[in-house]
Amino acid sequence: PGAPGIAPAPQEQLASQFGQMNIQGAPQQPTAQMPPQASNQLYPSDLIGQPFTVQELDNPPPPIHLPPNTSVTPSPYANGDPKYIRSTLNCVPTTHSLLKKSKLPFALILTPYTSLHDAEDPVPVCTDQVISRCRRCRSYINTFVTFLDHGHRWRCNMCNLANDVPQAFDWDAAAQQSVDRWQRPELNYSVIEFIAPQEYMVRPPQALTYVFLLDVSFNAVTSGLLATVARSILESLDRIPNADGRTKLAFLAVDSSLHYFSIPQDGGEGSEPTDPKMLVVSDLDEPFLPTPEDLVVNLIACRQNIESFLGKLQSMFKDTQNTGCAMGSALRAGLRLVSSTGGKLSVLSATLPNMGHGKLEMREDKKALGTSKEAALLQTGNAFYKSFAVECSKQQVSIDMFLFSAQYQDVASLSNLPRYTGGQTFFYPGWSAAKSEDAIKFATEFGSYLSAEIGLEAVLRVRASTGLRMNAFYGNFFNRSSDLCAFPAFPRDQGYVVEVAIDENLSKPYVSLQAAILHTTCNGERRVRVMTLALPTTESLANVYSSADQQSITAYFAHKAVERALGSGLEAARDALQSKVIEIMQTYRKELAGGNMGGGGLQLPANLRALPILFLGLMKHLGLRKSAQIPTDLRSAALCLLSTIPLPLLMQYIYPRVYSLHDMPDSAGVPDPETNEVVLPPAQNLSSERIVPFGLYLIDDGQTQFLWLGRDAVPALIADVFGVEDKMAVNQGKTLMPELDNDFSERVRAVIEKSRDHRAKGVGSITVPPLYVVREDGEPSLKLWAQTLLVEDRSDGGASAPQWLGMLREKVVQ
Amino acid sequence: MDYESLKEQWSEIEDRDGIRLSWNTFPSSKMEASRLVVPIGALYTPLKEKTDTPLLQYEPVACKSPCRAVLNPYCQVDMRGRIWICPFCLGRNSLPPHYKDISQDAVPPELLPTSTTIEYRLARPAPSPPIFLFVVDTCQDEDALKALKDSIIMSLSLLPAYALVGLITYGTMAQVHEIGYAECPKSFVFRGSKEYTSKQVQEMLGLMAPGLRPGAQVPQGQPRPMGPAVRFLLPVQQAEFQLTNALEQLQKDPWPVANDKRPLRCTGVALSVAVGLLEASFQNSGARIMLFTGGPATEGPGMVVGSELRESIRSHHDIDRDNIKYFKKALKFYEGLAKRTAHNGHVIDIFAGCLDQVGLLEMKGLANSTGGHMILTDSFTSSMYKQSFLRVFDKDENDNLLMGFNANLEVLTTKELKVTGLIGHAVSMNKKSASVGETECGIGNTCSWKMCGIDPASSYGIYFEIAAQSGPNQMQQGAQKGMIQLLTYYQHSSGQYHLRVTTVARNLSGPSGDPAIAQSFDQEASAVLMARIGVFKAEVDDGPDVLRWVDRMLIRLCSRFAEYRKDDPSSFRLEKNFTLYPQFMFHLRRSQFLQVFNNSPDETAFYRHVLNHEDVGNSLVMIQPTLDAYKIDQDEAEAVLLDSTSIQPDTVLLLDTFFHILIFHGETIAAWRKEGYQELPDYANFAELLARPKEDAKQLIQDRFPLPRFVVCDAGGSQARFLLSKLNPSTTHTTGAYGGVSQSAQTIFTDDVSLQTFMDHLMKLAVSGQS
Ligand SMILES: [Zn+2]
Ligand SMILES: [Zn+2]
Repeated sequence: PGAPGIAPAPQEQLASQFGQMNIQGAPQQPTAQMPPQASNQLYPSDLIGQPFTVQELDNPPPPIHLPPNTSVTPSPYANGDPKYIRSTLNCVPTTHSLLKKSKLPFALILTPYTSLHDAEDPVPVCTDQVISRCRRCRSYINTFVTFLDHGHRWRCNMCNLANDVPQAFDWDAAAQQSVDRWQRPELNYSVIEFIAPQEYMVRPPQALTYVFLLDVSFNAVTSGLLATVARSILESLDRIPNADGRTKLAFLAVDSSLHYFSIPQDGGEGSEPTDPKMLVVSDLDEPFLPTPEDLVVNLIACRQNIESFLGKLQSMFKDTQNTGCAMGSALRAGLRLVSSTGGKLSVLSATLPNMGHGKLEMREDKKALGTSKEAALLQTGNAFYKSFAVECSKQQVSIDMFLFSAQYQDVASLSNLPRYTGGQTFFYPGWSAAKSEDAIKFATEFGSYLSAEIGLEAVLRVRASTGLRMNAFYGNFFNRSSDLCAFPAFPRDQGYVVEVAIDENLSKPYVSLQAAILHTTCNGERRVRVMTLALPTTESLANVYSSADQQSITAYFAHKAVERALGSGLEAARDALQSKVIEIMQTYRKELAGGNMGGGGLQLPANLRALPILFLGLMKHLGLRKSAQIPTDLRSAALCLLSTIPLPLLMQYIYPRVYSLHDMPDSAGVPDPETNEVVLPPAQNLSSERIVPFGLYLIDDGQTQFLWLGRDAVPALIADVFGVEDKMAVNQGKTLMPELDNDFSERVRAVIEKSRDHRAKGVGSITVPPLYVVREDGEPSLKLWAQTLLVEDRSDGGASAPQWLGMLREKVVQ
Repeated sequence: MDYESLKEQWSEIEDRDGIRLSWNTFPSSKMEASRLVVPIGALYTPLKEKTDTPLLQYEPVACKSPCRAVLNPYCQVDMRGRIWICPFCLGRNSLPPHYKDISQDAVPPELLPTSTTIEYRLARPAPSPPIFLFVVDTCQDEDALKALKDSIIMSLSLLPAYALVGLITYGTMAQVHEIGYAECPKSFVFRGSKEYTSKQVQEMLGLMAPGLRPGAQVPQGQPRPMGPAVRFLLPVQQAEFQLTNALEQLQKDPWPVANDKRPLRCTGVALSVAVGLLEASFQNSGARIMLFTGGPATEGPGMVVGSELRESIRSHHDIDRDNIKYFKKALKFYEGLAKRTAHNGHVIDIFAGCLDQVGLLEMKGLANSTGGHMILTDSFTSSMYKQSFLRVFDKDENDNLLMGFNANLEVLTTKELKVTGLIGHAVSMNKKSASVGETECGIGNTCSWKMCGIDPASSYGIYFEIAAQSGPNQMQQGAQKGMIQLLTYYQHSSGQYHLRVTTVARNLSGPSGDPAIAQSFDQEASAVLMARIGVFKAEVDDGPDVLRWVDRMLIRLCSRFAEYRKDDPSSFRLEKNFTLYPQFMFHLRRSQFLQVFNNSPDETAFYRHVLNHEDVGNSLVMIQPTLDAYKIDQDEAEAVLLDSTSIQPDTVLLLDTFFHILIFHGETIAAWRKEGYQELPDYANFAELLARPKEDAKQLIQDRFPLPRFVVCDAGGSQARFLLSKLNPSTTHTTGAYGGVSQSAQTIFTDDVSLQTFMDHLMKLAVSGQS
């Protein structure tokens, strides 16, 4: 192992690493580092002469070349793992003016968690509750501090202050023996977690509490949502984190009234379950708790009765004719239920909130789509949703929205609730339990959601070397003060972007940035997750360009584009993206390529070659593209995803993967003999030129998958994959793959399965993309939809990749 | 006819027609009438149980509009012409064709002379079975709540299987239980602190939910003939299991109560929700809202006291001084609710089980306007509550509940008479007719009243005046008669509408000064009718004003009807049928009905409510309690004067005030009992002496509603005070020393005047001619 970015999971390596280090007392000089003063070279390339290939997206970001001995131990994990923390610039300009001149953004891309469960991707934990922090800037001791005075003091790598080393730093009070300081995780790993002592708690850690707000109106009941939700919760009860036995649940059913459930404690061994009491409150103006008892109940103590309740839930509302949905009032009631403890409100609804607090109107107007009036539809329709979310944030309550409506549901307004409370919006348009693939997708995702080990009462703060300042934060949280983001619950499946400003000239050869998330684990431990990144500084624009990370830059601009779209409209957002990429290319041409763009080429350094295509993908994305056909809710949901999903998923969402299946190599679709992981076929560029009429392709943007069947596909292929001879008999649309007993079917299914493997992508996610079978000569709307993912094609209102590059060239050289 | 025979006759009439009149001869001129002092009035018990006359199964024959008088024994019928002449409007009507076979030998029942009261079963079914909506306070200790739950569960077995039942419980909040819901216990919860409009209640219960899918079809196989409210109100046979379960699972209100606080109790909200629920779907269907309250309302509309314990609930003095926070607002709230309920045709019963007050004073309109019961007890564990509650469900010989719903009492008069009003548990129907008088007594300016709840004991005071231009009726032969017809339509508990017709005819007096008028004075009925007026006045006027009015009326009556020489009190004589009247008035003045300060406002409301419901006999017991003395070796108990001289060491007294039954052991008797003589075989006669009053008390209690409090006490015991308070203070501490009464008689410490002093004053004033 060596280069950052492809480090193996640290935990497996822990023991051997420490063993190899085999050092006592003072640290040895690192030996296995790169040569001193190394820096990334600028490799010019021509995008027209040598077109972009999708494989380039698999390249790691440009390496970070720190001066020798920068880290306090020689650990290969001493500097930030890009899985968790990466920068748009792996070499930081020393001055604000240089940064400005570069036209590149300086931002951190944070993915604090890379899996839904700690065990799948553990980080080293400092368990002794000795947390040494700088007295002045409150940074946590880390791999880039230096020790002074025979190790009695440490100098802060952010603000340079010398701090005392705490006595317990080298002494294990529990084991009553001295500790080898050099083996302490915080001095060896850039990403670690501290177990925090009492003083890090405003109040004792609260129990994990889920309040399920269940839509029980006509749509939700008849679409089978209620039944599916009840069954999914029932089946997930064992998976809900509950290591400390304190996890609590509450249920609130909503139509034109609020239905509370008072669930009694289980009787003794072998006793029959007791029915809950349903308490209906129809006073929507001032929703109140109808009883002080048994509304939020302990999962273990009431397990039998909860199960019995969930078993009955569907039949309780089976005859409903009620089309009212007072979800805003229900949210108020939900907040009241957990206002003293905080918790998670999980909203599952198939209806536009049409009464009570936060009442919304059906404001979508088909005629407005694709026009400048569309922007208003993407904005919040009722101020309740932001103000209530902020109120929730203060009460440590986080909201997740699971939205299922077949009609307009105003995702734009509803998504504010997760946005400011550290939650997420999950959108299932036109969902119906009658379609088993819908039911399975939701049940699987909801099960994963419930099993995720979320953090509670979390705050994120980013500190950095003197001269740097956190300028803006992007993601789902409430920005409580200039540098503090509050998360009532900290999810495992989201990414964040933090823009960094250079306020003062940077005099040191490197700068440090540290993100710390103070949180309570779902089993009641107070912890701080700390991620430290050190980056070299430079006065050279060439170094800035040669160390720029195209994926991080794209992620940053994705957030900016969403912000722009919600503020000034879609066209403004697209225009801004286009001018930005032109600006960057112009700067490069003018400043670094000597103004030379001979031979009709379009030049960019090798490490930024994907930028124009990624920007094209962004501009053609569902959330941003010019179209009069995209329902507002779909757009809004897409914009939510663009601004929350972790970087690897974001890249695929912008530039989907296409795998050719009919001719995949023998090694693909079967497990690799060494890793035992299924091997995917090589991806190919998103261009229909590469799609042959007799082929079978998987097109996958991580949220939706298409299995594309060419019009001339041979019957044998069809029979192998779909189990029918005639392609006309192939079921189109959302489907589950038939499990056929032949090698090819197995390999196709293995590829589809593997393409959904979030662990392999290094991210946590609950998403199971639905699979649509598309026949090239079949249902035209499906085909068109799949083709919108081929971003290098020319499309309605969008240029093909060659056209795009040609246009860019024109603008760049003028 | 002598007085005893007259009394006999009035008693027969009362048995037959359920009516007693203050004057049984009507004055023939307005002038004469103005000198009667006691107005012409009737105490009428419309549904008095009648087993002697048949229930007619056909429609009554009525005079043409607007008269609508019903064919009765006083009508002149031309058998051959099949014509009848209406005595009220003198109009001629043909008999309907099916009367073609009548003759002198085949007279239809309604024309028989004994059919002055007759009842018809009409071909008009009630819109729904009777409804019983229980409204239960859960802010009670476990024992009381348990007893209450048990009693309600028990009552389910007393209701007809088709009766609809529902349940509302309340404490800090009010809950409407959806007993028609099978999946789990389900209730709709209303905030206790908020006033909900009828529309809001109905929306919130989903009775007219705005969320309902437009054009939604009721699912097949679920007939809902009575609208969505049937989720809350189901036939007993269908809901007994669910309702019993819901009741059994009822627990004390779960909201915590601090030591220095009263529990939050939203009686007002619970009642308004109950009213709103019935209002939606069951207007003008017979329904009882039965409120069981264990304490005062402490929050929301209708609260009568704050939740802080240091704040005490209002007394009569507080009300007098007008320095109470919640009284007027609460009164206004409940009056409004009462008006709505009466309009809807529903009854509200109030059962209070609490040592302290519950706010009956504020809530009284609910029962008074709707004909509901008011039962005031110390606790739901008491037998007074349990037995009174069960008595509500008494049945007749055909197993029908002894209760009627939605009654409408209409009064018709011949032109000499006009009706001036009604005092009793009813509301005006605001119906004008030729029978309506110019003045107003009680609820007047109408000839028709509505009684949402009515039972066989419900009695109403109805008052009349003599019309201004009444000339002699030339059409009639023989003695001139004034006539009244009382028509009572009501929903019988068997499910059909009935009509009870009572026709009253009395002679009109002859020329001015006809002694027949004085001879026709029924002093008992008069006392009760005057008591009702006094109480009606007391509800609006100051106490002293009412007492002055009672005195003035008595003096004027005596001036008018006594024999005396002017300014010579010793010459004062009253006719036999007047002699007791001053005594009744003496006791009425001293009674809890007019002297309120010894009772709580709740008790006052309760006593007055009961007075306004009872017939002459029971009312008289309330006004002037009965006292019987038992002596050893005397077989029969002896009625003795309600006087302190009646207290003797060797007697046992049995006092009946209607509300209380008290057995008092004289000093010697008490001492013997303590010695245990009654256990000894040689003293069987003593044991018998102790047992006899108890037996008699049991007899008294048997038919009484509400069940009276039963007290056994000894001379000198603390409970004996109650007896003393009821006795005429002939031997007070101011007179005792030289009063010339027996030394053994009890001395009463009171500043009240004695009956003797009262009579002396009365005679003096009566003969002075200043009235
Ligand atoms: Zn520092
Ligand atoms: Zn007539």
